[in-house]
Formats: sequence, structure tokens, C-alpha cells
Amino acid sequence: MACLLITSCKKDKPEEPNEEEVITTMKLTFVPVGGGATLTYQFDDPDGPGGAAPTQNEIVLAPSKTYNVTLQLLDKTKTPVADVTVEVQSEATAHRFYYEPTAGSNITVSGLDNDGNAVPLGITSTWATGAVATGKIKVTLRHYPGTPPNKAISDLVNSSKSSTDIEVEFNTKIQ
Amino acid sequence: MKLIIAILFALFISGTAISQKCSISLTGHVEDADTKDKLAGAVIILKETGMQLVTDEKGDFIFKNLCSGEYNLLISHISCDSVIQKISISKNYHIDIFMPHARRTLGDVIVEAKAGIANTGFKKELSGKDLEETKGLSLAEALSKINGVTMLQTGSTISKPVIHGLHSSRILTINNGVRQEGQQWGNEHAPEIDPFIADKLIVIKGVDELKYGSDAIAGVILVEPKPLRNIPGYSAEFNTAYFTNNRQYVVSAVWEQQLKKLPAFRYRIQGTFKKGANAATPGYRLNNTGSEEKNFSITAGWKKEKFNTELFYSQFATKVAIFNGSHIGNLTDLQNAIASSKPDDVFLGEMTYKIRRPFQEVTHHLVKSKSTLYKGEHKFNVLVAGQFNHRKEFDVVRSSSNTRPQLDLSIYTLSEDISWEHPKRNNFNGVAGISMMQQDNRYGGRYFIPNYFAWSFGGYFIEKWSKHKWELQAGIRYDNKAIHTTRLKFNSDTINYDFNFSTLASSFNTIYKASDKWRLNFNISLASRAPYVNELLSDGIHHGTATYEKGDITLKPEKSVNISAGINFQNAPKTFHFDLLLYSNSIRDFIYQQPKPDNPVLTIAGAFPLIEFQQTDALLSGFDASASVKPTSKLEWESKLSVLYARNTSIKDWLILMPSNRLSNEITYSFKDARKFSDNYVSVEFLNVMRQNNIPDERNGKQDYKAPPAAYHLLNFNAASAISFGKTKISIGIGIRNVLNTAYRDYLNTMRYFTDEMGRNISIRVKVPFNYVYH
Repeated sequence: MACLLITSCKKDKPEEPNEEEVITTMKLTFVPVGGGATLTYQFDDPDGPGGAAPTQNEIVLAPSKTYNVTLQLLDKTKTPVADVTVEVQSEATAHRFYYEPTAGSNITVSGLDNDGNAVPLGITSTWATGAVATGKIKVTLRHYPGTPPNKAISDLVNSSKSSTDIEVEFNTKIQ
Repeated sequence: MKLIIAILFALFISGTAISQKCSISLTGHVEDADTKDKLAGAVIILKETGMQLVTDEKGDFIFKNLCSGEYNLLISHISCDSVIQKISISKNYHIDIFMPHARRTLGDVIVEAKAGIANTGFKKELSGKDLEETKGLSLAEALSKINGVTMLQTGSTISKPVIHGLHSSRILTINNGVRQEGQQWGNEHAPEIDPFIADKLIVIKGVDELKYGSDAIAGVILVEPKPLRNIPGYSAEFNTAYFTNNRQYVVSAVWEQQLKKLPAFRYRIQGTFKKGANAATPGYRLNNTGSEEKNFSITAGWKKEKFNTELFYSQFATKVAIFNGSHIGNLTDLQNAIASSKPDDVFLGEMTYKIRRPFQEVTHHLVKSKSTLYKGEHKFNVLVAGQFNHRKEFDVVRSSSNTRPQLDLSIYTLSEDISWEHPKRNNFNGVAGISMMQQDNRYGGRYFIPNYFAWSFGGYFIEKWSKHKWELQAGIRYDNKAIHTTRLKFNSDTINYDFNFSTLASSFNTIYKASDKWRLNFNISLASRAPYVNELLSDGIHHGTATYEKGDITLKPEKSVNISAGINFQNAPKTFHFDLLLYSNSIRDFIYQQPKPDNPVLTIAGAFPLIEFQQTDALLSGFDASASVKPTSKLEWESKLSVLYARNTSIKDWLILMPSNRLSNEITYSFKDARKFSDNYVSVEFLNVMRQNNIPDERNGKQDYKAPPAAYHLLNFNAASAISFGKTKISIGIGIRNVLNTAYRDYLNTMRYFTDEMGRNISIRVKVPFNYVYH
């Protein structure tokens, strides 16, 4: 009771809340096959959900080119900024990225990297562009909460086995 | 379990042998000395033999096979002071006993009609047989046996009580005299109370609410333990229950003693352990739906004629799993889950006690000291209580090595109450008091509500007047609450808000006992509730409902005018009973959540619909009716109907998430006592829960993703018997909930988006009491 009294009456500055599981930023790095400048595009919400609105780049790529794409997830609410990709990589069998370009965007995504069970993970991928076009691409990270996760190659993006950690739709332009 | 019972049997029987061959009968009758009411449930102890009986409905008792000689009879009753009567018997003997009313009046007991008719107007009670049937269930499940009380659930393991459509911070829960201060604001935050502490669960409305706060817009729930022992000796009670559906077992035990050499000192130790595995619906078993509870309490009391004091400590600890198929990442997930008729197979079919993420872990500690001092006919009470509540929520995380909670809330509360009861003069008696509270809330992990410090103080005054057929009661209360909140933003800025709310409440109640058969009751209560911190400042994603919830710092207190009228009839032979409670609760500035479909919140997980706390005017009106008929002394048919209409009057629409109307019919058949078997009965209940058709119009903003589920009909069964072994009476009960294994969903269970409710659940419970009186 005495300790209760003391803690109740003490008025102090709140401790830094240790918020976990926040992903503020998704960064896509495009390395053109056969040389050329590296491109980066991102979805960025540095204060997390709510507060200031996120900013989002348009993905602009050159026509008829192939890019090796690497995805990176960051938590900018932490100092220093935390790289969440590492966590996803270490739990690869319970995560999966999906890349869904709209018809007419003239983008095809293939060559996703695999997890330890040879099921696609998608931290790295290969994007091939066609003729000049505009469209959209949706990037989704699905998380399997089951034990065991039972992740399978045939799982669709809306599989009832998994739930959404990330869902971002970028505008795309091939010019 | 069998072994334990067998050992207990052996223990108790060996201590109870009475071998003399004697044949005198002692019959008796117990009445209240003031009201002349026949006192049922009075405990009669024959000190010399240790024999113990409880009076029947007519206040009668009989001891058989006594030898001639001198005896001391100890008579105790819950609302009276104990009596010791010395008798000398040589042949069959009859004694009439008149029990003086206890000096405790307003402070401890709730004023109720003294006539033989049960007070059902503004006080509804669950005790005796009805409470026994709920042993092993949660507090809310037990309370939902009371007409007008329903449940708001998250799966089968988290449930909170709803009174006439209102819940959470609109209900005050008083645990052993102390206002429970936990994290009641959340829909998936169940009350942190062990129902095994309670000897009675009472729901009150009206004047007596004012002793606990000005904010009891829906009513007050009292969790009342049995008073400490009043006869030197010791007693124990052992309760156990097993439920087949989720293989849940419960063990609860209590030990109490009053010392012979130091009769002023009494104490009680009580503990409960409960563990359940995954629950099954009629079609499938749901993974990660287990639960675990460890509770403990100790009470020590010192009682002298002019002074008594009591120290109470209780600890409640629970760990509750949340069905992992309900883990929702965003709106699309929710819509997909709703579209499928059952959860994916990866979330089904596992039979285990193991609890995985997501789960909640909650502990609640309460320390209470209560002292009463008598000065002449004046009575003074001082109550000081400390509470510590710690809630940790463990979400599904990316890294399986992470053992930390994602939401971590702790709340410290200190409260002080002082009251004075003046002596009864000219048919008036009354109580006045002041209360204070200091509260400190902190969070770690995800932000949902800020750190805050709150101070409140209040005062009340209640007067009651009773004469002949009339009882008039009136009271007034004022409270002031100051809240200082602090939130740390990610870039180390703090955002501070200060609030100050004054709330006023008053109540007037009248009871008219037209005759022994009829009783009329009328009440008008004004209550006002200051907005809670979550309503002011919540800001974040609510994963269960895939919405972004936002508070509003400009909210004002909500004010209610609650008018109720009750009528009560019981015929003289007590074979027919009827009561009706009509109510209309008009709430100005009712705080609720309004969806803002035009302003979705864009996050990295997609767009979340925004819902904001807002105020409107609401009207909740309805009635609770019940009737019972006893065509023979063995057969009873009881019918209960509860109807509610909940309107958002500002926009002429319905309010969301209101319990649907329900009708329950229960037929009980009591068997004659036979040899060692007594209190035997079987009962069958048909429960009809209608579909909730009164839901908000989508043109006022889509508030729900799924239409309310269909009406459902459940068949429940109960049977019990008490078996006497010497002076030990062991009670055994069997209950079957959902006998027909009906698949159904309930509108007030958030899991209705994903799964069916629990299927057939058979329970067995055993109670072994033991009592010894010092010679």
C-alpha cells in the first residue's frame, strides 16, 4: 500500500513508449540490368499511423527494361531508424510479399526470392517493363499467424490463412 | 478429482459421528423481531452437538434424535444480529425465536421492501440456487441470468455485463464495497473480479447508486461477499466444476475461522484456480481460445460492540487467448473474413490448453481497509482502498522470439471514503459521505490512451423515510474530476491536455406497498458522467474492428434522466408471482462512435475507416417482465421477457450494438427429499433471442460490416441435489448449455464476424461445505 501511495503521488515525465510493430516506410530500390542509374521510390509515414498524412512516390521506370528490385521496410519512429526487413527475413516462412500490377501498366513482376521451404518470399524481385504506359501496382505483405504457418506456393493474396501487414498501391509510369 | 472427493468425504464423515440413541425432536420458528417476517435461510447451530440447520421458506427448522439435556442454540441470519438461546429439553420441544435487526442499516445493506414480496423493481439479485448454477462461469455470464442484463463478448472467454443496453464506464462495479478501477473502457476488457468471492450479485438502480458515484448511468453492480463468521468455530467450503466443451476445470476453496479465545478476531482465506482449453462450436474447434485464472483473497476482521474493522486483500490474475483466426490486418482482411462462412482450417481443430498470441494478461490487486465506529446511535465508516491494475495485450508479431506485450497499461488507484449514518428519528434515517480518489495511468508499447493523473472528490447525502405502506428516498451527489494527460510523441515532444469536469446527480425513489400482495415502485434519477480518457484522447487502430478510433477533447459530460416504474404482485400462497419494470433513460450528449466514411486514414497497411467519438441525444426505453406459476408445490414455470428500444434521437435513427430482445422460459421440477437426498430439482430452459432489426441506417454512415445474425433458440438443462453425510451436505449439480448443439451467432459478440458460438457444454459441479462450532 505504501508503495502504491508513493508511485501514485510521484509526478514525472512519461517514459518513452516502446512501440513495436510499426512500419513507417517501404522503400523499393531499382537496379537496371545492363547498367544505368539506381532508382528508389518509397511510401513514407514517419510518424506512424494517424498524425501527419503519409507521402508516396510515383514509380517512374524506363520502357523495355529489366530491374532487380530490393524491398526495404523501416521504422522511423525509432532512433536510430530500425530496419524491419531483417525481422521479416528471419521469419520468412510466416511472411510473403505480393506484387500486383494493374492490367495496362505494362509491368510484370517475377523472380521473387524464396523462404527456406522454397515458397516465395518477395524481398527481392525482378520487374520487366513494356511500352510507355501509366497504371498502378499494389504491394502487399501477408503475415501467417497460425502455428505452424502452413504457408504454401498456391496461397493467394487474400488467403484466409494470412493477414495483411502492409498494403500500398503506387501509381506507375513508364516513360 | 474423484479421489479428492473421496478423501474429503472420509474426512468429514469421520468427524461427524453422533452415536447416542436419543429420540427427542426440537422444532423451531425464526422471525424478524421488527418486521415479523419469517426468516428463511437463518442458520441454527446446536452448540453441544455441532449440528447445523438452515431454516426453510417459512422460517421453520427441526432437529431430530436429540438426547435430553441442556443445549445452547446459536441463531444467525445475514440481516440480523446473532442470538444465543439456552434451552433445557426432556421431551419434544418447540421454540419461537425473534431475531433483532442488525444495527447496520443503510451503510451495508441496500434498503429493500421489508414485506414478503421480493424486491425486484430497482434491485435485482442473484443468490442461492441461481448463483450456484453459475459457479465456474465469468462474472458477466453469471449476471446475465438477471432479467435485463446481457453480455458484450469477445469470443467465449471475454465477456462484460450490459445493463439495459449500456456497459463499460456507464456501469459502476463495486467489488466488496470498493469501486472497481481497472481498464473498463474497452469493449474487450472484462471486469477483473473472481465471482467465487461473491455470496450475492446485486444490480441496483436509483438512490443507493449515489453512494458510489454520480456517473452510474446504467446502474451499479455489487459483488457482495458473505459477512465474516459470527460464531466461534471454523468452516470451509470446497467448490469444483468441470466443463466438457473446452475441458475447463475450476477449483475454489475457502477457509474461515473465529477464534474461541479471541472472538473479536475473524478471518477468511479464499482462492480459485481455473483453466480452460480451446472451445468448440458445433462444427469446429477454435484454436487459441483457452484461458487461465488464478485468484486469491484474504480477509481479517476485528469486531467489538462499538468498533469493528476489516482488512481485505484480493488478487486476480488471468490470461486469455484470443482466437487467432480473428487477427485482422486491415479492412480488406475483415471483409474477406466476413465473406467466408467459417474460418480457415489452419485456425481450427487443435485441442490444447496452450495459449499463444494474440492473448491478454491482466492482474488486479485490491487492498481495502474498512472501519466502523459507533458513537451513541451514530455510525461512522472509513474506507481506504488501493488498487493496481496491469493489462498487457500480446499481439501477433513478426518475430516469434519477441516476448514483450504490444499494449501495456497500468493503473494505480487510491480511494478514501468517509460516511456518517445518523440515527433513525421520526421515521427518517440517512447517510452522508465524502469520497476522494487519486489515479495514475501509464502506458508502454503501442499508444491507445495517454498517461494521465486524475484526482476526484465528491460528496453525497441520502435520506430515507418510511412509514406504514410508504417508503420515500431521496439523495444528491456532486463530484469533481481533474485529469492531467501526457502523451509522448515519436520525436520526443509531449502533448499535454488538462481537463476538469463537475458532475451532479440526484435521485428520488418511492415505494408503495398497497397490500401484502402488491407493491409499486417509482424512481427518477439524474446522473452525469464525465468523458473517459479514451473518449477524449484515444488515437489509433483498433485491430479487432479494423477501424481507426479517434477521441475528441471537446466532449462534455453526458447527462441522463432515468425514469422507472415497477409493479410487483405475489399471491398469498406464493403460487403466482409477477413483476414488471418499465424504464426510459434519456441521455443528453450521449457519447458514441460515429463512422466518418469520407475521411479514411491512410496507413502503410491500407486505408482504415475513421470512427470518431461524438455526442448526440439518446433515448433507451424498454421493459423487463417476469412471471412465475407454481401449479403444484413441486412444479414451477418461470417466464422472463426483456425488451429494449435504443434511439439516437438527434438524427432519428437506431443506436448500434444494442442487445436484442429475448424471452426465457424455465420449468423447474423439485423432487421430494428422500433419505440422504435433499434440494433435488431438474430444470429446463428455453431461451429465445430475437434478431436485432433496429440498427443504424446506412445512409447515416456505414457503421457495421455485417448484418446482425439471425435469431436463435437455445435449450439449457440444469439439475442439482444435496446429499447428506452426517452433518455435511454435499451439493452436486449438472448443467448442459446448448443441449441441442445449435450453431448460432450473437449480435453482441465481436467474434460473430468470424465464428459460431460455443456448442453443447456439459458441466458438473460439486460443493463440499464444512462447519465446526467451538464447544
